[in-house]
Amino acid sequence: MIGTVARKEIVSNLLSYKFFIVLLLMVLLVATSLFIMHRDFAARMADYQVIRPQPGAPIAVVPPNPLSIFAKGLETAMTRSFEIGVIGVTVRAGQSSGNVIYSFFPAPDFLYVVRVVLSLVALLFGFDQISREREQGTLKLLLSGPVSRARVLAGKWLGNFASLAVPFVLVTLLGTAVLLFDPDVRFSAGQLGRLGLILALSVLYLAFFLSLGMLVSALTRRAATSLIVLLFVWALLVFVLPNLGTLAARRFVSVPSVQALSEERQQTWTREVLLAITGTGDFAERWRTISRENDRMEEDYRLKFERLVRLSRNINRLSPAASLLDAATGIAGTGIDEESRLKTEVVRYKNSIIDEMIANRMAGKREAQYAAFVYRARPLGEVFAAGALFDAAWLLVFNILAFALAYAGFVRYDVR
Amino acid sequence: MLKTLILKEMRAHLLSFRFLASFVILFVLVVVTATVLTGDYVRKLDEYSARQAAIDRYLRTYAHFNRIQNVLQPTQPPIPFQTLVRGLTADVNVEEFDDDPLPVMFPLIDLTFIVTILMSLVALILTYDAVSGEKEEGTLKLMLGNSLPRSKIVLAKAAGAGLTLVGPLVVSLAAGMLVILLHPRVDWSGVDGAALALIVVGAVLYSGVFALIGILVSSIHRSSASSIMTSLFVWTLLVLVVPNLSPYVASFLSPAPSRIKVAREASRLTDVDRDDLGRKLQAQYRAEVLKEYPVLGEQLTEPELKKRVAEDPLYRKAYEAGRAAVQKAWDEANRIQGAKAGALWEDLRRKEEAQTGLARTISMISPLADFDYLATDLSSTGTRNMAHFGRLSGLWSKSFYDDYRPKKVDELRAKQPTADVWNTAVDMSDAPRFRYVEEGLGGRLQAALPPFAVLAGLAVVLFAGAYVAFIRYDVR
Repeated sequence: MIGTVARKEIVSNLLSYKFFIVLLLMVLLVATSLFIMHRDFAARMADYQVIRPQPGAPIAVVPPNPLSIFAKGLETAMTRSFEIGVIGVTVRAGQSSGNVIYSFFPAPDFLYVVRVVLSLVALLFGFDQISREREQGTLKLLLSGPVSRARVLAGKWLGNFASLAVPFVLVTLLGTAVLLFDPDVRFSAGQLGRLGLILALSVLYLAFFLSLGMLVSALTRRAATSLIVLLFVWALLVFVLPNLGTLAARRFVSVPSVQALSEERQQTWTREVLLAITGTGDFAERWRTISRENDRMEEDYRLKFERLVRLSRNINRLSPAASLLDAATGIAGTGIDEESRLKTEVVRYKNSIIDEMIANRMAGKREAQYAAFVYRARPLGEVFAAGALFDAAWLLVFNILAFALAYAGFVRYDVR
Repeated sequence: MLKTLILKEMRAHLLSFRFLASFVILFVLVVVTATVLTGDYVRKLDEYSARQAAIDRYLRTYAHFNRIQNVLQPTQPPIPFQTLVRGLTADVNVEEFDDDPLPVMFPLIDLTFIVTILMSLVALILTYDAVSGEKEEGTLKLMLGNSLPRSKIVLAKAAGAGLTLVGPLVVSLAAGMLVILLHPRVDWSGVDGAALALIVVGAVLYSGVFALIGILVSSIHRSSASSIMTSLFVWTLLVLVVPNLSPYVASFLSPAPSRIKVAREASRLTDVDRDDLGRKLQAQYRAEVLKEYPVLGEQLTEPELKKRVAEDPLYRKAYEAGRAAVQKAWDEANRIQGAKAGALWEDLRRKEEAQTGLARTISMISPLADFDYLATDLSSTGTRNMAHFGRLSGLWSKSFYDDYRPKKVDELRAKQPTADVWNTAVDMSDAPRFRYVEEGLGGRLQAALPPFAVLAGLAVVLFAGAYVAFIRYDVR
C-alpha cells in the first residue's frame, strides 16, 4: 500500500510544473557550481605550482584539496604558504585577489547550493502534501480507502523523497564524473569515500527539510499558509540561527581580534630587534624570545578561539544547516578544526627547526637545508570523533523528530 | 478611484496572516540583531582603545624610525553604523598567521541581510497571487465588471503592496534604533541618521522590485500554486545565485594574473635579472673608461691600490671615473629592472580593477547586490570607504614621514651628530596619530547613486512588464 501511495506521488510530481522548475534549478545550479569551483581550484593549483618550496627550503605549504570544489570552507586560508625564519612563522603569498566583490558574497560551492538553495527546493516538495490534498478534496477520498494514516504519510514521504533525491544524486554523480576527466583533480579512494559521505549527509539534510515541510503542512489548513510559515522557518534555520549564534557566542567568550594579535606581534619583534642592536644581549637570544612570545600569544589565542568555536558550534546546532556545514567541511578537510590543526603543525615544524636555523644564521650560513614539512589530513575517524558523527546523528534525530511530529499532526488532522 | 483600490489592497494585506507573520518575524529579528550588534560594537570599541593604549606605550619606550612603519599603522576604528550594517569591515583577514575563520563560515547577519533576504521574501509572499489569486477567487471578474481601467488595478496593486511593506520596516527599524540610541556609548550622529533614511528608501525600492516581480509573475500564471513556484525560482536566482557567481564569472571573462605569479616574476626581475644586467653594463662601461684611462688596466693588490690613489692624482682621477662607471651601471640596471617590475604590478592592478568593475556590473543584475552596495556605501562600511580610508592613510603617511620624521631626525642629529638615528629609541608620543573621519554624506550618496538608479530602472521595467502581462490576462 505504501508503494502505491509513493508511486502516485512520484507520478504526480513528474507531471507537475513544480517538478520541472525544481529539476531545472537543480541541474543548473549543481552543474554551474561544480564548473566554477573547479576553475577556482585549477587557479589554486597553478598558484601552488609556483609557490611549491624547493627541497630543503624551510617553507610549509599544503597542496590544494580537490574536495574543496565541493566544500570550499577555509581552503583559502589553508593553502597559504608559511615561511619559517629566525623570528618564527611569516605568512606569505595568501591566495588573495584584488577583486573585493569576492568578499561581499559567500562562495557558491556545492555545499552552499545544497545548504541554501536545495533546502528550499526540498521544502517545496513537502509544503502542500496534506493541506493541498485537503483543499482539493482528494484527501477525503484517499482516507476512505482501507489505508492507515501512517501508511499514507510514509508513502507520501517516500514518493517525494525519491523524486527529490534521485535527480539530486544523479546530477551530482554526473558532475563528479565530468570532474574526474581533469588530470589535476585526482581523488584518492579515501577522498571518493569522503565525497560519498558528504553526499549522504546532504541527502539526510534535504530529507529533513522535506519532513519539515510535511510537518507544517499537517498543522495548517491551507497550502498558502504552510508555505508562508515554511519560508520564514527556512530563513531562520538556514541564515539567522547559525550567524546570530556565532555573534552570541562572542558575548560569552572574549577572543582578541586578529588586528590586536598582529599589532602585538609587530611590537614584540621591533622591540627585541632594537634591544639587540643597541647592545643588550645577543641576537640569538632575542630571536628566541620573539619566537617564544609569538608561540605564547598563538597558544593563548588558539585556546580561547577553540572555546569560542565549541560554544558557537553548540549554539548553532539548533540549525541543521550549521550541523551540515560543520560536518561536511570537516569531512572534506576544509573545516575550522582542520585549519587549526594545520597551524599547530606549522608551529611544531617551526619549533623543530628554529634552533638549527638560528645557529646557522649566527654562523653566517644562509643557504642551509632543512627537513621538509609533512602534513597529513586528519583521518576520518578523528573527524567523526571531533563532532561529525554527532552532527550526522543530530541530522538524523531532526529527521525522525520532524517525521514523528508530522505523523502526530496528521493523525489529528481534520480532513474535511 | 485609485485611492479606493489602494485602500482595498492595503486592507486585504493588513488583515492577512502573511502580513502578521512577516511583521512579527521582522520586528523580532531587527531588535535582536540591533541588540547583538550593539554589544559587539561596544566590545570592539573597548578593544580598539586598548590597542591604541598599547601603541602609545610602545611609542614612548621602544619606537625607532627603522621599523616604526610596522607598529604605527593606520587602522579603522569601529564606527557607530556597525550596530546596523557590518559591511566589509568584518574581521576576515587572511594575511595574518592567526585568523578568525568563523565569519568566513558563518557570514554575520545585519540589516542588509534582513532587508535583502527577508524583505524580498515578504514582498513576494504579499504579491505572488496578486492577479492569479483574485482570478481563482473570482473577484477579478467582478472588479473588471465595473468600468475600471486595468492600468489602475496594476498601479493600485503595486502601490498597495509597497505601502504595506513600509509600515513593518519602519516600525521594526524604529524599535531597533531605540535599542541602539539608548545605549550610552553609541555616538549616533545626524549624518548617520540621514544615511539611514536613504538606506530605508533603498530598502523600500528593493522590496518594491520584488513586489513587482510577484505581480508580473502572477499575471502570467493561471494558478497561484504555479505563480509561487516561478516567483521563488526567480527569487532564488536573483538573490542566492547571481551575486555569488558574479566574481567568479568576471574572473573568467576578464582574467587577472595570479598575485603569487606576479610577485615571483617581479622579484626575479629585480634580483637575478638585475644582477645579470648590472654585470653586463658594468663590464661595458668599465671597458669604455679603460680606453680613456689605460692605467686602470694594471693589476694591483688592495694596499698598492690605496697607496697609488693617495699619491698619484692622475691615477685617482682614473680610479674615480671607474667607480662612477660601476655606480652608473648598477643605477641603470636598478632603474631598468625596477621599471619592468613596476610595469608588471601596474598591469596586475589595472587588470584586477577591470575585473572588479566587471564583477560589480554583473552582480548589479541582482537587486540584492544593488542594495548591498548602496547600503554599505551609505553607511561607509563598503568599497567607497576602503578608498576613503586609503586616502586618509596617505595623508597621515605624508605628515608622519615627510614632516614629523625629518624634523625629529634633525633634532637628534643636532644633539649628537654621530648617533645612528634609525636604530635609536626615540620618544614618539608627540608623533601625529592617524585619525579616521567618516566621509561626508555627499560622497557616500554619489557612490550609492548607480545602484539606486539600477533599482529604479528595474522597478520601471518590471512595472511595464506587469502592465502588459495584465492587459493580456484572461480573467475568466
